[in-house]
Amino acid sequence: MGLFSKLFKGPEIDMEKSNANAKKMRTLFNQVVEDGDKYRLIFGYTEDVGRFNYGFVHGSKTKIGNLIVGWNEVSQTIVVVPTVPDLSGCGDPAYYRRTEILKAYRNKYPTDAFIIYPDKKGYIGINAYDWLEDEKLYVYVSQDDELAAFTDFFMNRFATK
Amino acid sequence: MPVGEMGAFLLFLMIVFLFGKLWFHFIEAILRRIKKLFTHYKKTSAWHPLSPDKED
Repeated sequence: MGLFSKLFKGPEIDMEKSNANAKKMRTLFNQVVEDGDKYRLIFGYTEDVGRFNYGFVHGSKTKIGNLIVGWNEVSQTIVVVPTVPDLSGCGDPAYYRRTEILKAYRNKYPTDAFIIYPDKKGYIGINAYDWLEDEKLYVYVSQDDELAAFTDFFMNRFATK
Repeated sequence: MPVGEMGAFLLFLMIVFLFGKLWFHFIEAILRRIKKLFTHYKKTSAWHPLSPDKED
């Protein structure tokens, strides 16, 4: 029984690595966002799927963009900071204040991404999961509680429909 | 089917696969160059490296 439970046990999370990355996420976020400590953080990502047809070679390619997503319950604001899987740096933050956005909702198909339309011109789709194993593509962080809190905030206090 | 023929067929498939890969990267490189020509004047977005002193 012990052997079987070991054999069929799924991948285990390296909490030391996860905690170190959570700290790095906080450092980066606070570097670029004023009063960063007033925001709770999760890791999210965007997925850009494009089709190509180069003659006899055709298919699709997916671009992944890693994000540090901060949210403030009081000001009902979501801040998105682009980053890279090793958290060596980050870009400029984008602010989505509930009072200023056009609409926000949770997608159902093809993914359950959190969608925000700041205006009619464009949108951002934030995908978030409790843990993603592939650390070459995604930030290695375990975030069950934070993801539950973000989902609750988004669905009950940020979404517009 | 004799082993030699099977080997030749597999080799043919491998050549098609490798040529497809090369073709894909060739076209991608050309498209990247063209894109660069039209976007080189655009300001690149700021990048903030993780401060080493704040990193534990």
